[in-house]
Amino acid sequence: MSDRKPTPQLGGATETFVHERASATPATSTTREERCDGDTPDAPSDSSLRAIEEWFVSAITAPHASDRLDADAARLLISGPKLDAAGRLAIYRYGYRARLVECLVDDYPALKFALGDDAFESLCLGYIERHPSSAPSLNDFGRHMAQFCREAAPLAHREFAADLASLEWALVEVLHARVAERLSSEALGSIPVEKWVDAKLPPGGAVRLLRFAHPVNAFFQAFKTDREPSPDDFTRNPSATAVYRTDMTLWRMDLTPAMATLLESLFAGRTLGATLETLEVGLTPEDAAEAERNVMVWFREWVAAGFFAGVDLG
Amino acid sequence: MANRFRLPDLGIGIGLRTVHYPHIIEQQPDVAWFEIISENFMQTAGKPLHFLDAIAERYPIVMHGVSMSIGSTDPLDRAYLKELVALRDRTRARIVSDHLCFTGVAHRNTHDLLPIPYTEEALRHVTARVRAVQDFLGGPLALENPSTYVEHAGSQMKEWEFLGRLAEDADCALLLDVNNVYVSAFNHGFDPKTYLDAIPWNRVVHFHVAGHTSYGTHIIDSHIGPVVDPVWRLLGDAYARAGGASVLLEWDAEIPSFEETHAEALRAREFLPTSSRGLP
Repeated sequence: MSDRKPTPQLGGATETFVHERASATPATSTTREERCDGDTPDAPSDSSLRAIEEWFVSAITAPHASDRLDADAARLLISGPKLDAAGRLAIYRYGYRARLVECLVDDYPALKFALGDDAFESLCLGYIERHPSSAPSLNDFGRHMAQFCREAAPLAHREFAADLASLEWALVEVLHARVAERLSSEALGSIPVEKWVDAKLPPGGAVRLLRFAHPVNAFFQAFKTDREPSPDDFTRNPSATAVYRTDMTLWRMDLTPAMATLLESLFAGRTLGATLETLEVGLTPEDAAEAERNVMVWFREWVAAGFFAGVDLG
Repeated sequence: MANRFRLPDLGIGIGLRTVHYPHIIEQQPDVAWFEIISENFMQTAGKPLHFLDAIAERYPIVMHGVSMSIGSTDPLDRAYLKELVALRDRTRARIVSDHLCFTGVAHRNTHDLLPIPYTEEALRHVTARVRAVQDFLGGPLALENPSTYVEHAGSQMKEWEFLGRLAEDADCALLLDVNNVYVSAFNHGFDPKTYLDAIPWNRVVHFHVAGHTSYGTHIIDSHIGPVVDPVWRLLGDAYARAGGASVLLEWDAEIPSFEETHAEALRAREFLPTSSRGLP
């Protein structure tokens, strides 16, 4: 079981995924951008506040600079003492993307490491275009990254990247999750034996169960320990991981097929009786035997880890 | 107490940043107060609030927002305001502030502080929204002058005139960021003193200072590095005009140790009027 020992992800206060949103502007000098006239926003139809605001936001978020955008900027914005209107607009165009890329770097450090700086930045720019923010906080901005990797991004290791993004997003979710209630060992022990078969164990607020086509938790751990990635890291090899929080520490625990099957069934709302039956049909004989031997130990560990919010006796 | 809102002068504080959490939690340093970025503690119910609760238990907190989008022509976001009030009540925040800007429109949030055109239409629009927000908060909102890199050709007045009129018309408080005055003065070619001359000082409840990054053609409000002496001197001038108010250092990139950050904030004492140098 040593390979499944839970690994602390973030202990204490030093490493948190709280994004440092601030009123600062990302530092840059103005740089030349790729230019394309095709997607230039239309100039405002009038001088109303609404029309000016819509144009300004469109001008900042438009994917490319263009001659037409420069001409509109020269008409709608005042040149500065040392920088023309297009150059001044470019500060906002850069800042918009840089701030959101920075947010995605916070959420997906291992994905950035896996893809390399340039590929990750390209991925982020595509993501920002596809999933612009509409919320006041950026805490939820990166939610769609796994899906984006899987479906939209031009990536060399698409499925691996999607799996890794799923793991990293689970860490973000668990960090921010509310833990209202958790099942205690005492409460579990007080369940009468005859009630066990119909008992349901709903999941706790700060636990996520994930199945992957690749061993991304192992890759993530290697990333945390500064190991260089190897080709094996990108090879398909199914895995499952639980991500959870106890008090203020985040943990990652690799799961055997039997563990994952049990937890999936319970988290889906099935009774303990129905869940144990799934072991017989959903697992190899070896995995089922492992489950029979260890199920009580696993339950004690899972309860201690806060995997369950409580017990529902129907 | 110099301001008309009777908001306290908290002394010299610093922005609360995660890299400093261990030091603050373990060492409980002698700091007058902390300012939080409000949105960092929204859409969360986990670890961020745990640390904030521990710090708010010991230190006065001021809330500084970046997403109210007071200048936007989208409707005010009531859910956001509710969350803001809940956070204020949770932290017992002494001041709630945001920026004179818009951050987006048509339900897109750029998460940047975008300048609005300074027109009569915009003044009426923003005034009504500030009044609505203050009704919601049940107290004053402090608005900060942003650093800006563009001016709209359609503006009918300068930013300082707009800000002064807005403060009077909406009866709101002001957070004067003297680094932003300095940055915008360079970028637009005006004298920072002209800006200060237009400020209704009895409405200033709070000052910001920060480092910036100069590129020769323009200055970016990067919040990197120590505060330059001209900005400190501008603070001294503004502080004297206001008759005192809370002072805060923002350092948001390449953040040094807690001690170095705090020491930089306390440099304010060298530039404040002599009678204020005993500030915490």
